[in-house]
Amino acid sequence: MIDVQDLTKQYAGRVAVDHISFRVEPGEIVGFLGPNGAGKSTTMRILSGFMPPTSGRAMVAGHDVFRDSLNVRRKVGYMPENAPLYTDMKVKEYLHFRGELKGLRGRDLRVRTGEAMDLCAITDVRRRLIGNLSKGYKQRVALADALIHRPPLLILDEPTNGLDPTQIRHVRELLRSLRPAHTILLSTHILSEVELTCDRVIMLHHGRIRASDTPRNLARQLRATSLVRLELQGDGRISEKLEALPGVRKVIVEKPDGAWQCYSLRVESQNDIREAILDVATASRWKIRELHRQLPTLEDVFVELAASEEGKKR
Amino acid sequence: MRTFWVLLKKEVKAFFVSPVAFIVLALLMVLNGFSFRAALTVLETAPSEGSIVTWTFQPLWFWLSYFFIFPLLTMRLFAEEKKLGTLETLFTAPVSTWQVVGAKFLAALIIYCILWLPGMGNFALLKWISGGVVEVPGGALKGSAVILFVMGLFNLAVGCFASSLTSNQIVAAIISFTTSLLHFLLGIFITNIGKKIPAAFADIVNYIASVEHIRTFTNGLIDTRPIVYYVSLAALFLALTHQVVEFRRWRP
Ligand SMILES: Nc1ncnc2c1ncn2[C@@H]1O[C@H](COP(=O)(O)OP(=O)(O)O)[C@@H](O)[C@H]1O
Ligand SMILES: [Mg+2]
Repeated sequence: MIDVQDLTKQYAGRVAVDHISFRVEPGEIVGFLGPNGAGKSTTMRILSGFMPPTSGRAMVAGHDVFRDSLNVRRKVGYMPENAPLYTDMKVKEYLHFRGELKGLRGRDLRVRTGEAMDLCAITDVRRRLIGNLSKGYKQRVALADALIHRPPLLILDEPTNGLDPTQIRHVRELLRSLRPAHTILLSTHILSEVELTCDRVIMLHHGRIRASDTPRNLARQLRATSLVRLELQGDGRISEKLEALPGVRKVIVEKPDGAWQCYSLRVESQNDIREAILDVATASRWKIRELHRQLPTLEDVFVELAASEEGKKR
Repeated sequence: MRTFWVLLKKEVKAFFVSPVAFIVLALLMVLNGFSFRAALTVLETAPSEGSIVTWTFQPLWFWLSYFFIFPLLTMRLFAEEKKLGTLETLFTAPVSTWQVVGAKFLAALIIYCILWLPGMGNFALLKWISGGVVEVPGGALKGSAVILFVMGLFNLAVGCFASSLTSNQIVAAIISFTTSLLHFLLGIFITNIGKKIPAAFADIVNYIASVEHIRTFTNGLIDTRPIVYYVSLAALFLALTHQVVEFRRWRP
């Protein structure tokens, strides 16, 4: 659905996107992840036909984004960052206008306007002025606009920015429900978002792709540490024995819960040391009531990635 | 074509959602009213050359206030979209830059023409009230309408261009007002020094001097040269607007 090769964009000499290449297959939900200024919005603006790349090539649904821009725009539903809208129009009037602009007519137009408003849960504000709506509603009006003509590809720039947790969950479910018919490329700087919604993550940093994989694999593959929590009763030099286990980087002694002593272990994530801990426990006659491994979140991966970048620079 | 109508409809509607159209209408009616009354006074007090039409449209102060209309009508067109960021949604829909520029310009032009209706109505009213005693010369009226229309084309195009340059409506208004006024004053300046220069220059001078155009047209003489002049200038400024709006799509 999207085929990007060696795409570069410079703003007045400053590189915003630096030779990136990736593909998105039909039906996928792909997340662009990166801190502010990573080049997510720039890439999306190019893909939606708003501006041309400085060099490189991008194909969307079989059309070149620069040379065949009008055809690309017919097939893309784009929601820009911060949901820009005409503040002096009413919600329904606006969607009507946008639908017509995108080629919907007559009955089709009315039906799709209604559908889009229902999907995005904005039917109750359809007669209100957009300028008077809260940020959450504006965001959903923009989303309704993006999907009103049922485009095969949705490009959504930070679609959940400014929504409250309930609304975020609603948008997430909405996106998943669109899945068979629509391919979705969305961007966010919130990691949990991407973990829950996307099939694949493309991590951008300083205009380059740092990683591209499923959220799970990404977390596993990158050398982040996992956390093992442990509650036990026993004597002897417990922390020393735990530290001696392979792959353990650090043992943190936490506040004891009555007679139970609590530990957190930072462990390299490719090792699962839970069995080894049990073996030691049996040998030392410890009583264990909790043994839990927490896989690294993308948050951890991200922090590590950013830190390694900083390290390289110095 | 269909897309163009959709855009045009939206732009025309936008004028009536904001108070702009009504403010300009009020301004223009006051202006017309004063001008018309002044013309009547002239004709009442003494026999004079020229008709009611000539006296209404020729005073300088009429034209100086007249240039306030254009920034008011055009400053919003692109500047507001830039400020709101809606150019991004607009140009990611399947529309071409010409359709957008054309729709915005034509919408402003339509409003401009509508705004003149009450002013023109004054003459019909006069004829009706006086029972046909006062003569309203048709030729002069037609000439005035034509010159108002083509000068409108030009000044609205200037306004469109000014609006495409900035995201600040006030800045757009100032650029457009200054450009329109400078062009007009340049015409006066040239006409004045034109009397001291050889006749060969006078022809060229007549191309630029709006005051001269106004004088001939409001006397009922329809000359094609000024029409061509204003229409081509309008086309030039619309082409410039198109280029500015397209700028982001330029490849280095
Ligand atoms: N219109 C612009 N003019 C100049 N620089 C820009 C413009 N838009 C973005 N940039 C720069 O390009 C880089 C990438 O920006 P952007 O794509 O908006 O990142 P993101 O969406 O990931 O936060 C940033 O350094 C930003 O300052
Ligand atoms: Mg962004």
